[in-house]
This record gives sequence, structure tokens and C-alpha cells, in this order.
Amino acid sequence: MNRNYYILTAIMFFLALGTLFIHERKVPPEISPGELLWDVLQPTRFVSTDEVAKRLIEKDPSLLLVDVRPASEYNKFTLPNAVNVPIDSLLTPAGQSYFGNPGMKVVLFSNDAILANQAWVLLKRMDFKNNYVMKGGLNEWMKTIIQPKMPPQTAPETAFERYDFRKAAHLYFTGAGIAKAGKSASKMKVVFKKRKKAVVAAGGC
Amino acid sequence: MHVHELNPKKTLWVLILFLIVIIIGFITMKKPLLNYQLSLQQTTKILNDTSNNYFYPYQLVNVLDHENKNVVLIDLRNKYAYGLGHIPGAKSISSFSLTQKENINLLKKYKKNGITVVLYADNQLDADGPWLFFRQIGFCNIKILLGGYDYYKAHKNNLAQTKEDNSYLKGFPRFDYAKVARSKTGTFSASQKTRKPVIFHRRKKVTVAAGGC
Amino acid sequence: MGPLFPNNLISGEWNLLIALFIGMAFGFLLEASGFSSARNIAGAFYGYNFVVVRVFFTAVIVSMVGLLYLGYFGWLNLSQIFILPTYLPSMITGAVIMGVGMIIGGFCPGTSLTAVVIGKIDALFFAIGLYLGILLFAEGYPFLEKFYHAGYLGHITLTELTGIKAGWWAFGFTVIALAAFWVTAIIEKKVRKRIKEYKF
Repeated sequence: MNRNYYILTAIMFFLALGTLFIHERKVPPEISPGELLWDVLQPTRFVSTDEVAKRLIEKDPSLLLVDVRPASEYNKFTLPNAVNVPIDSLLTPAGQSYFGNPGMKVVLFSNDAILANQAWVLLKRMDFKNNYVMKGGLNEWMKTIIQPKMPPQTAPETAFERYDFRKAAHLYFTGAGIAKAGKSASKMKVVFKKRKKAVVAAGGC
Repeated sequence: MHVHELNPKKTLWVLILFLIVIIIGFITMKKPLLNYQLSLQQTTKILNDTSNNYFYPYQLVNVLDHENKNVVLIDLRNKYAYGLGHIPGAKSISSFSLTQKENINLLKKYKKNGITVVLYADNQLDADGPWLFFRQIGFCNIKILLGGYDYYKAHKNNLAQTKEDNSYLKGFPRFDYAKVARSKTGTFSASQKTRKPVIFHRRKKVTVAAGGC
Repeated sequence: MGPLFPNNLISGEWNLLIALFIGMAFGFLLEASGFSSARNIAGAFYGYNFVVVRVFFTAVIVSMVGLLYLGYFGWLNLSQIFILPTYLPSMITGAVIMGVGMIIGGFCPGTSLTAVVIGKIDALFFAIGLYLGILLFAEGYPFLEKFYHAGYLGHITLTELTGIKAGWWAFGFTVIALAAFWVTAIIEKKVRKRIKEYKF
């Protein structure tokens, strides 16, 4: 038998042995810690309650509100058309199906922004894009949209404009006076994409 | 007679080439400075662990008196804000310089010596992202200052009394939402109705005609 | 980094061009390692020539081990690689049909085409039969459809199915393949002694 065969066998054996000691990449894919920190430091993920209210009133079909509070709190009160994804179901396929869909902007909210922000960090680590956090959460929503306060007389004009908008939004969301207004809230049609595992490049053998 | 055999010599050369590629791979592989120590599952578990995550403003009293030497405060705001005012004894590491090697090594040293690191920014939310990041890469000694610098500034002189105060706590409803947001006319509008979550059906992956050889 | 095309590192045109070159290399290597001879292929079943087994096992273990290393270096994202969907009953049936076909015909679909190119007449008939079979399957597809799609397991890998690390599978297959190289060499020697007229 040829001596080269022994060398070949030995090299291949040790190469294969080596695969036992290399760890595999994580599935689902995660972004590197450095990238995660960089994204975490960007303030662009925060949206104001006014902006969310405006989009809701305009019935923006690309908006998906996600309530990350526990189901018990969600059942008591939530924002119109919001879906409930508690933080521990973020890792389940059912929970993840709401995120990363093309053309959709997902706004996360909780009582304050803290829990929603943490959910955002987890989603970012899983490399889901186009997620936002409602700054101030539901507490801020109540403060600004449901119970808007008149700005002081010395406030700039934009503050009054904002106040006018909030008053109108207040009517819209509480249904005071125009009780039917909220009812026509259209059901959202969500284009939905399963997170792709394999970009198909069909192979032969 | 023409017998097809693998040519052991040529095969050996190709295999050596293969080996060289793998060796190059090992040499050029960058060892990342940071690695996740907590899996996503573990991370979701620690979020509710209030005793390990949070540092309360009234706990600052001990630190400021130099009684508690096991705590290091780190100011995540930029140098300018730090210069305008900071908690006495706090180190300034602005959040954008957090991953610099010397800062990471400093944090590693603290971790080794069992020193608790308390991160703060203007408010809890600003420090929340960096805090959660550090917990995920394995710094379990890092806490977050509740209320942040804003709360500290407002209650500088009566920190000990803030034990009774809960206005800095986050994550709790400050309103009875359903009641506050109820329609004045008494009828519920769509916004109050709890909706069943949209159920998504996963689409089957497109079957691909597979090639044979 | 990779795979190149799904990560937009190369354009669609380059993708096709590279596929063309890989295809040419594949055909060349099939011919160069003697796969266009029906006797070489059938020899694996009669025990006098295992070159087919050796070449395929070599390809399998080198690519298997290589992929794991590439994934480890971060050069290739293994989760983006296409994995054939598994349909257990139809795959087993297909494998049996293909195996029987290889013994009878002495070619597998790809090698029959390389053999046609170098002018083998038996390969020409094999290729005609191949296309007749494709036609038959396509026409009979409505009857076979149910069976064809039965037992769908998804794009599943052995690691996902068993929870055993991919490294162990790679190591196990490599050991089996290396053992097969030596065992087949011994079998070959014995069988060839008994064959008086050994002509290819």
C-alpha cells in the first residue's frame, strides 16, 4: 500500500477530530456584541407618543403596535390594534413572527419605556430590524394623549399646536363626543414573512 | 489496461492545500474582545431580578460617605454633562467609549475584585441599554442607578429619605389605564376593547426542485 | 461573509457564471476520476472497483469538515446554506430506484451525461432512458403527488433532529469513510485476484 495513503488518512482524521473542538455559530443568528452596543447607543429607536397617536389616527397600515407587558395587564388595557408579546415569548416562533416583516414598523411599548427598551435590545441581538420603542410608554400616553395639559401661556406656539393635536387625539381615542369614531379602526392586514433560514440556492450533489 | 485510481500523490497535495487554507483561517481569525455570556433565554430571566439589577438612590448615602467602598459609580453621559455636575466620586466613561479596551479591562478588574459597578445617565432609560448589554456579555456585577442623575440632582440633600419615595420606580402603571381612558359617554370605543392577537400562520417554505447528480 | 450570493457580495450574473465554471469543473472531475465508465461505477457493487465510493466519500468528508471550519472562522454563515427539505418515504424510495438503476445501467444521472460527451453508446441509451423517466414522472405526477409530499420533515439537519453537535457527525462520518477506504482496498484486492480477465 502506498505510503501517501497513510498520511492522507492521518491528516483527514485529525482535521475531523478538530471539528469536535470548534464551537458552532449560534442559531438563530446573533449580531456581535460590538454591533449591539453601537445600536443600543443610538437614540433613533425612540418615538414619541404623539407620533404613535398620529399614525394610529391615520390608520397607517405599516404600523404594528406590540405590547410587551404580561398578558394579564394586556387584557385590562392596551392601545388600539396592539398585539401582546410578553418578554418571555419573544424567543418563541409565534412571538417572533411579528418582527422583521418587510415594510412593517413595529413599535414596542410597556408601562414605561424600560421593558420595551429591553425587549428592543433582545430583538436587536436577534438581528430584527425596523423596531421602535414608544418613549415613556403607557404612562406617558395617559399623560400626553388621554389627559393633555394646557401649556403655560409663555410656551412657544409649537407647544400649543401640540396641545391642540393632543386634545383632538384625546377625543379620538376616548371616543368622547364622537363615540363611533374609534370603532371603524380597520383591521390591520399584515404582510408576513417567516424569518428566512436558508436563502435558497438549490444545490445538486 | 486503464485503471482509474485516485492518485495518492496528487490527492496529498490537494489535502495539504486544504490544510493551509484552514491554518490561514485560524491565523486570521479575529478573537472578539467581547462575547455573549448569557443566552437569550438567560437574559430574559434576569430582567425581573430586581435585587441584582437595581441600585436605589438611598443606597448612594453609604457610598458618598465612603462607608461602602465596594461600589464604583460610572457616569455614562458625555464629558460636557459630566463637567457640569456629577455624583461625587463617579468615574466618567461616556457610553460611546465603553467598548474601548482599557475600559473593558477596567470593568473586568472590578468584576475580579468583587466591586459593584453602578451605571447612571440622566435617567434610567438612558443607562438601561448599556446596562443590559453588559449583563449579556457577562458582567454580573453591574447595576443600574434608578432615577438616574436627574433624580439624584433633585434629591441631593435628602437622599436618605427617598426610601419612602417611589416616584423614580419605573415599569408600574401610574394610572388606572382602563378607567382613565374610558369614554366619557360611557360607551367603550374600539380603543379600549382588548383585541385578540392576530394569529399568523407560518407559510411553508417554497419547495425547491432538488438536483441530483 | 459568505455565502456570496444571498449576502449580495456578487451579482446575479456572476452567480450564474461561477455556477457555469463549477459545473465544468464537476464534469471534468467526474470524467477524470473515471466516472464515465459504466464498469467503474458498477464495480462498486460487484466489488472489483471502489473508486466511486472513494471519490464520493472524499468529497463528502472534505466538504463537511471544511464547511465546519469555514463556519468557525466566520467566513461562511452556515445558517444561510440551503438544506434540502426531507421527505422520508419518497427519499428512501428514490434512493432504492437510483441504486438499482446504477447497478443495471452503470451510470448515475450526472455521469451518464459526461459519458455521452466522450462518446459512449451505452451512456447515450442511458440518457435517453433518463429523459423518458423524467417524462413519465412528470406525466404521472398527479398520481404520485401525495406520496411525493408525504412525511415532510422540513429543512432539517441531523444536528437539529438529534441534538448531537455537528462536529460529532462530521467526525463519525470521517471515521467511517476512512475505514471504508481501507476495507474497500482489501476487498478490491481479493476480488480482482479471482477475475481472470480484468479489462477496462
